[in-house]
Amino acid sequence: MDFLAEGFRRALALLASGDAEVFGIALVSFKVATCATIAACLMGIPLGFMLATRRFWGRRVALTVVNTALAFPTVFVGLVIYGLLSRRGPLGGVGWLYTWQGIVVADTLLALPIAAALSAAAVQNVDPRVRRTALTLGASSWRANWTVAREARFALVAVVTAAFGQVVAEVGAAMIVGGNIRGETRTLTTAVALATAQGDFGFALALGFVLITVALLVNVVLQALQGHGHA
Amino acid sequence: MATLELRRVRHRYEGRVVLDLPAFTVPDGGKLAIVGHNGSGKSTLLRLLALLERPSEGEVLFDGRVTASPDARPDARDRRRVTLVEQRPVLLQGSVRDNLAFGLRARGARAIAVDRAVEAVAERHSLAPLLSRGRRELSDGEIQRVAVARALVVRPDVLLLDEPTSSADRAAAQALFHGLQAELAERRMTVCLASHQLEDAYRWADDIRALAEGRLSPVTPENLFRVDVPAGPADVTKRVRVGPVEIVVMTDRSGPAILAVPPEDIFVSSAPLVSSARNVFAGRLTRISQQRGTVHVVADIGIELVAAVTPDAVRELGLAPGAPVVFAFKAAAVRVF
Repeated sequence: MDFLAEGFRRALALLASGDAEVFGIALVSFKVATCATIAACLMGIPLGFMLATRRFWGRRVALTVVNTALAFPTVFVGLVIYGLLSRRGPLGGVGWLYTWQGIVVADTLLALPIAAALSAAAVQNVDPRVRRTALTLGASSWRANWTVAREARFALVAVVTAAFGQVVAEVGAAMIVGGNIRGETRTLTTAVALATAQGDFGFALALGFVLITVALLVNVVLQALQGHGHA
Repeated sequence: MATLELRRVRHRYEGRVVLDLPAFTVPDGGKLAIVGHNGSGKSTLLRLLALLERPSEGEVLFDGRVTASPDARPDARDRRRVTLVEQRPVLLQGSVRDNLAFGLRARGARAIAVDRAVEAVAERHSLAPLLSRGRRELSDGEIQRVAVARALVVRPDVLLLDEPTSSADRAAAQALFHGLQAELAERRMTVCLASHQLEDAYRWADDIRALAEGRLSPVTPENLFRVDVPAGPADVTKRVRVGPVEIVVMTDRSGPAILAVPPEDIFVSSAPLVSSARNVFAGRLTRISQQRGTVHVVADIGIELVAAVTPDAVRELGLAPGAPVVFAFKAAAVRVF
C-alpha cells in the first residue's frame, strides 16, 4: 500500500509544481483529441443525419457497418493506419507516421463511427414533425436539418463528448501510429502506459489525474455550449 | 393561381398501399374539406399535397407542372407556396415569437419586416400575450392556434389544415374559422382541411370529399342536409323540412343550418316498431355497400338516407336493394349546426 500513497504524493507534487513534461504531454493529448474530435464530428454528424433522415438503397448495410465499427479494436485501427502511412504504404509520401497528425487520423477513424451512430440515434429520436414543420414553413433542407439539430442539441453534445472521450482515452492506435516519441507524439495515455511499465507509478498517476481533469473541463465547456433559453 | 393536383397517385408505407387516388384536384382559391375516419389516409394526402413526401407512384402537379414524382424530389420553390398545419402541431425550439418568425426568416425577410408581420398575425389571432412564452408554457389549444398563425404569417398560396379543431373547444374552433375567413377576405388563398368531424367540413368548405381506406368514397359524407330551422322555444322539438319529409329535431337554433343524421343512430327494420323514436320513415332500399366492419344501407324515404348496420343485421332482416324498409331515429340523435 505504501507505493500507492507514495504515488499519490508524487502525483500531487508534480501537478503542484507545474511540471513541464506533464503539461507538455497534456498539451499534445489535448491537441490530438480536439483535432480528431472535430474531424470525426464534422464527418460523422452529417453522416448520422443522412442515415437517420434519408431513405436510400444500402442504408441498412451502412447502419450495420457503422454500428460494427463501434466495436473495432483500437490496435487494429492503429495497424491499418500504420500500414497506410508507413513508407511502403499508399499514403507513405505524406510523412505522417510517428507524428501527432498520424494519431489524429487514427483517432478520427475510431471516433467517426461513434459520431455517426450516436448522432443517427439522436436525430431519429427527434419528433419527425419537427423537420416536416421546418420544411413546410419554407426552410431549406439545410435549415431544416439545423432545426432538427437544435432540437437534438443535448444528445448531439453527448455525441461530441463521447467522441472526445474515445480519442482522449485511446492508447493502442496512438502507440502504434505515434510511436510514443517524447515531446512529439507522447500522449497522456501512452505516457501512462510507459511510466507504469517503468515502475514510475507516481508519474503515471499524475498523468492520469491530468487526463481526468482534461475530460472534465471539456465536458464542462460542452455543457455550457448547450445553452439555455426556451426548451 | 395555385392548383394542386394528384395524378395516378398510389402511395405506400412499408409496402402497404395507404393512398390510391387516380385523380385528385385542389382547385385554385377553393375551400375544400376532406372528411374521413382516423386512418383513412387524410394526413398522408395532406403531406403529399404539402410536397413533404414523394408519391410511391404517380405525380403531384402544381399549376399544371409536375413538381413531385417517385424520381423527382418536390420542388422547393413550390413547397414554399404550400403550408401544412399538422393534426398535432409541434412548436419549434424558442418562443412563440420565434415560431411565428420562423417561416419569414427562412425566406430571408428583413428583421423589421419579420417583427411587423409577427405583431400583425399575433394581433389578429389574439396571440399577443403569448409571444414571449415557450412551448412548454402553452396548452394544446394554444399550440394549435400558434401553429395556424405560424402558417398564415408566410402568406401561403395553399393552406392545408389537418384536423385543425382537434385540440380546440367550441369557442376556439369558431375563433379559428373566423380568423381564416378574415384572412380570406383580405387575399386569395386555397384552403384544404382534413377532418373526421363533418361539422367542420360543412361549416367551412364549399367542396367536401370523403376518404375511406385511402380512396375517395362515393357514399360519404352521409345524411347531411342544408335546412332552414323554424324559430321557436329552445326546449321543445321542432319539425324541420328536408325536401318532401319533415324531421323532428331538438335544437335551440333557428334559421339556415346543417342537419345531420348519424348513420349509426338509425334503427333499420322491415316493419314499423313501437318505440320512442320521433322520426319513423318507410321506404325502399336502394343500395347496400360494405364499409370497414359495417354495412351502409341506403333507403329512399323521400330523401336518400344512409344507415350503418352490422352484416348480421343485413342477413337476418333480409335486406336487399328494392326491399321495403323502415328507418327510425330519435329527435335527440339529429344534429343541427
